Amino acid sequence: MVAIPQDTAAPLPRPGRFGTFVRRNPTIFFGGLLLILLVAAALAAPWLTADPFRLSPVNRLRPPSERWWFGTDQFGRDVFARTIHGARVSLLVGLLVAVASAFIGLALGLVCGYFKRVDGIVMRVMDGLMAIPSILLAIALITLTRPGLAIVITAIVIPEVPRVVRVVRSIVLSIRAQPYVESAIAGGTRGARLLTRHILPNTLAPLIVQGTYVCASAMLIEAGLSFLGAGVPPEVPSWGNIIAQGRSFFQIAPWTILIPGAFLALTVLAVNLLGDGLRDRLDPRLARRM
Amino acid sequence: MNVLEVRDLATHFFTLDGVVRAVDGVSFRLARGETLGIVGESGCGKSVTALSILRLIPPETGRVVGGSVLLEGQDLVKLPESDMRAIRGHRISMIFQEPMTSLNPVLTIGTQIAENVVRHTGVSWSAALDRAREMLELVKIADPRRRLQEYPHQLSGGMRQRTMIAIALSCNPQVLIADEPTTALDVTIQAQILDLMLELKEKLGTAIIMITHDLGVIAETAQRVVVMYAGRKVEEASVDQLFAQPAHPYTRGLMRAIPRLDAEAEVAGRRPRLQEIPGIVPALNQPIAGCAFAPRCPFATGRCRAERPPLIETAAGHSVACWETARVLEAAA
Amino acid sequence: MSEAPSLEVRNLVKHFPIHSGLLQRRTGWVRAVDGVSFAIKRGETLGLVGESGCGKSTVGKTVLKLMEPSSGQILIEGTDVTHLAGGAMWPHRRRIQTVFQDPYSSLNPRLTAGTIVGEPLENFGLAKGSEKEARVAALFERVGLRPDAMNRYTHEFSGGQRQRLGIAKALSVNPDVIVADEPVSALDVSVQAQVLNLMIDLQDEYRLAYLFISHDLAVMRHISHRIAVMYLGRIVELADKRTLFSAPQHPYTEALLAAAPVPDPKRKKAGRVVLKGDVPSPAKPPSGCHFHTRCPYALPVCRQQDPPLIEVAPGHHVACLRRPAGGDPVPLTPTA
Repeated sequence: MVAIPQDTAAPLPRPGRFGTFVRRNPTIFFGGLLLILLVAAALAAPWLTADPFRLSPVNRLRPPSERWWFGTDQFGRDVFARTIHGARVSLLVGLLVAVASAFIGLALGLVCGYFKRVDGIVMRVMDGLMAIPSILLAIALITLTRPGLAIVITAIVIPEVPRVVRVVRSIVLSIRAQPYVESAIAGGTRGARLLTRHILPNTLAPLIVQGTYVCASAMLIEAGLSFLGAGVPPEVPSWGNIIAQGRSFFQIAPWTILIPGAFLALTVLAVNLLGDGLRDRLDPRLARRM
Repeated sequence: MNVLEVRDLATHFFTLDGVVRAVDGVSFRLARGETLGIVGESGCGKSVTALSILRLIPPETGRVVGGSVLLEGQDLVKLPESDMRAIRGHRISMIFQEPMTSLNPVLTIGTQIAENVVRHTGVSWSAALDRAREMLELVKIADPRRRLQEYPHQLSGGMRQRTMIAIALSCNPQVLIADEPTTALDVTIQAQILDLMLELKEKLGTAIIMITHDLGVIAETAQRVVVMYAGRKVEEASVDQLFAQPAHPYTRGLMRAIPRLDAEAEVAGRRPRLQEIPGIVPALNQPIAGCAFAPRCPFATGRCRAERPPLIETAAGHSVACWETARVLEAAA
Repeated sequence: MSEAPSLEVRNLVKHFPIHSGLLQRRTGWVRAVDGVSFAIKRGETLGLVGESGCGKSTVGKTVLKLMEPSSGQILIEGTDVTHLAGGAMWPHRRRIQTVFQDPYSSLNPRLTAGTIVGEPLENFGLAKGSEKEARVAALFERVGLRPDAMNRYTHEFSGGQRQRLGIAKALSVNPDVIVADEPVSALDVSVQAQVLNLMIDLQDEYRLAYLFISHDLAVMRHISHRIAVMYLGRIVELADKRTLFSAPQHPYTEALLAAAPVPDPKRKKAGRVVLKGDVPSPAKPPSGCHFHTRCPYALPVCRQQDPPLIEVAPGHHVACLRRPAGGDPVPLTPTA
C-alpha cells in the first residue's frame, strides 16, 4: 500500500453552492469582491468622505492620522476623499472604454468573420490603428479640443478596438467551422437566427474576458494621461492627477503618491483577477491559447 | 514464468466531482513473450491501468492508491522516480494511439530513436544512430538512412506508428504496452501495423499488452484476454475460450452488440437487429456496492446489486466475476 | 423508371485549391471528389466506405450543399439543386437532413435539447408554440429519450443520447434523405448497437433514404443495402451488399475486406493480402488507376489509363482495367 496524504484521500467536504463556487473559482471570487468594494466606495463617496475640493491651508501635508486617514496634500485637501473620488474617474473610464470597445469590436468582428470581402479591408485598417500609441493620440486630440472625459475615452478606445476585433473575428471564424453550426445550416437555420442563436452567444464569453483586460489597461492609460496633463482636467480628482500633483512633495509627503498609486494597482489587479478567472471559467479553450 | 504481474491495482483520480475510481482492484499476469489483450469500452480503466504500470499518472490529478506491479518480482509502485525513469522505454515501453502527439515535432526521427538508446544503454551517439537505422529497417521503413534525417510531419500516419514501435523496441524491452495502437489508422494500415507487431514479437520475444476497444483486433492479436468494465476486471480467458464461450453477461453483450463482417447474410433481405446493452456505463465517482454491470444486466439479482462478485475460475484459465455464472451459461446453452 | 430516386448524384466533382508561398498563390488542386455518381431509392441505404482522405465526407457535405460542388449534378427527389445557392436552396434543405459524426461538437452547447430538436421545425415554419412542443416531445419519444429531458442542456446527455438528439433533429422535418457521416464511430460498441437499431427502425418506418458514410465495414454490412467503395475521390466498386462482401471484384475492395479485423480467433489470417504502402495524397494522385501504386495485380497499362466504372453484372459496377466489360475477368494473380 502506498501512503495516502490525508487531505486528498479523505472524502471531499460537501460545502454549499457558494463555498463550492469560491473553491473552484478563487480568482473570480477575490477579484470580484475587491472590485465590488471599490465600486461601492466610489458610489458612496459623497457620503463616505469629506469634500475632496475643500482647501485647508492650515493643514497642509499632514501625515495619515485619525482625522485624515490618508493624510492631506499641499493644499490641505483630504487625500482619502480625493482617492475615493478618484476611483469614480478610473472605474468610469475603465467601464466606458470596455463597453465601447466591446460593442464596436463585436460589430466589426462579426462582420469580418462573416463577410470575406470586408474582412481584408477592415483588418488592414485595424492593423493601422493598432500602431497608434494611445498616449500620443490623446495628446494630439486634446491639443485640438478641450480636455475632458470624452476625449480621454475616445483616445483610449481607438487603439483598443482592434484588439477586440481580432479576438471576436477569430472566434467567429472558429465557431463557423463548428459541426453544430454546419448542423444548424443543414437544418435550415439561416440569417439572423444563425447569428443570434448559434454564433453570437458563443462569442460573448470571450468578449467579456477581453473586456476586462481592456478595462484594466484603460484605467492604466487614463492615469498615465492624467499624470502627463493630457487626461481629465487637473481640478478633477483622478488618481493620475493626484499623483501628478503630489510628485514634487514626494520626499516629505509620500502618501500623496503611494496611496492613489496603491489604489490604482489594486483596482487593476482586481479587474485582471476577475478577467483571468472568467477566462478559465467561461472558455477553457481560450485559456490554453493565451 | 511471468515477466509482469499486476496485483489488486487501484488508481484513483481526485477531482472536484469526487474521487474517481478509474482502476478498482485489477490483477493479471503477463508471461514472457505472451500477448495479453485488455478490452473494454471508453472509461473502463484500460488505459489508466497501462499508465499506472508505467507510473505515468499525473500526480496532481491521480495516484496509484493500492496494489502492486511486479516486474520480474520488483515492485514498481514502490520504486523511486529515478529508478522508474530507467525502466520506462528500456524494460517496459509504451506506444499510444496518436503517434503524432508522442513524437517531438522539432527533432528528427533518428535523433528521437538514438536518444532513447543512449539514455538507457549509454552507448556512443554514432552507435545509437546505427541502432536507430537498424530499428527502422526492422519496422520495415523503406530507405531508413534518409528517414533518419526526417521530421515526424514528413511521415504518414502509418510510418509514424512504425517509428513509435522502433523507439519502443530500440532497447529490447521485456514488455511492450500498446494502447489502441491502430485506432487512429486506416484499416489497411492497421493490418500492416498489427502484422508488424506480431512478427516483431516472434522475432524479439517481447511480451505485449494490447489495449483496445476492438474485439476484432483482440481476436487477431491476443493469446489471453482481460475484459474490463467500470475499472474492474470482469472476465479473463484465453482468446479461444473467450470468443467460444464468453461467460460474463457484459462480454456476451459486447459480442452480440457488434455488427459482424463474417455474419451469415440476412434472412429474406431483412437486416437483423443487433443485441443492445441497455443503459450506460456507471459514473465512477460514486462507490459501486455490488457488481458494476448489475444495472444493465438481464441476469442481475439483489445479491448482484449488494455484493461485489469475486473472480471465480469456471474452467482452466477462465475466470469470471459474476454471481450468476451458472444461470448465464445455462441460458447460453 | 417509375419514381425519381430520393437522391441522385451525377459525376460530382469537388476540387479544393491549394495555396502556398508568401503570396498565397494557388499552386494546385486537391481532387477530393473526382467524378462520383450514384442514386439512392426511397427506403434504401447506400453505404459510402473508404479510408481517410478518400473524399467520402466531402461527398456528404457537397450533397448537403454545405459546400458548393465544382461540377456535376445533385438531384433531390428529381429536383436539380446543384446551382441553387442561399435562399433558393433553402426550401430544399428540408428534404435532406444530416446526422453528424461527433455527438459532442455537433450540438450547440448553449441550447437546450428541445430547442435544438425543434429548430428545423421553426425554420421551415412547420410548427411553433405548443404544437412545436408536442411534436418535439413525440420525436423525443420516438428516438428513445424521455420527453421531460427537453429542457436539459446537451452536456447532460451521454454520447449515445446526443446522437439520438441529432437523429430526432434530422427527423423533425420529415426529410426524404438523411446523410449520416460516421454516425456511430465515436460511440462505444454497446451504444453503437442502440443507435444502429434505431436508424434501421426509422428507415423502415418512414421509408427514408440514407447516405451512410463510414470507414467501418462491419457497420456498413449491417446497415447498408448497397455499398460504394471510394478510393482517392473515385468510386472503385459499387454493388449490393451481398455481392460486395461475397464476391468483391476490385482489388482494393478485396484488400479492405481482408484487412478488417474479424472478432473470431479461429479465422486465421493465412494468405491474406496486406496492402503495402500508404494512401497517396489526393493533391497528387497517381496517374491512370489511382490504386495502381498499391495494387498487387497492377499491369503496366494501369499506370496510364483511367479505368471507367463499368457494370460487370446487373447493379455491380467496378472500375478496374482487369475487369473489361462483357469479357471474362482477367484472373487475379499477383504480378511480381
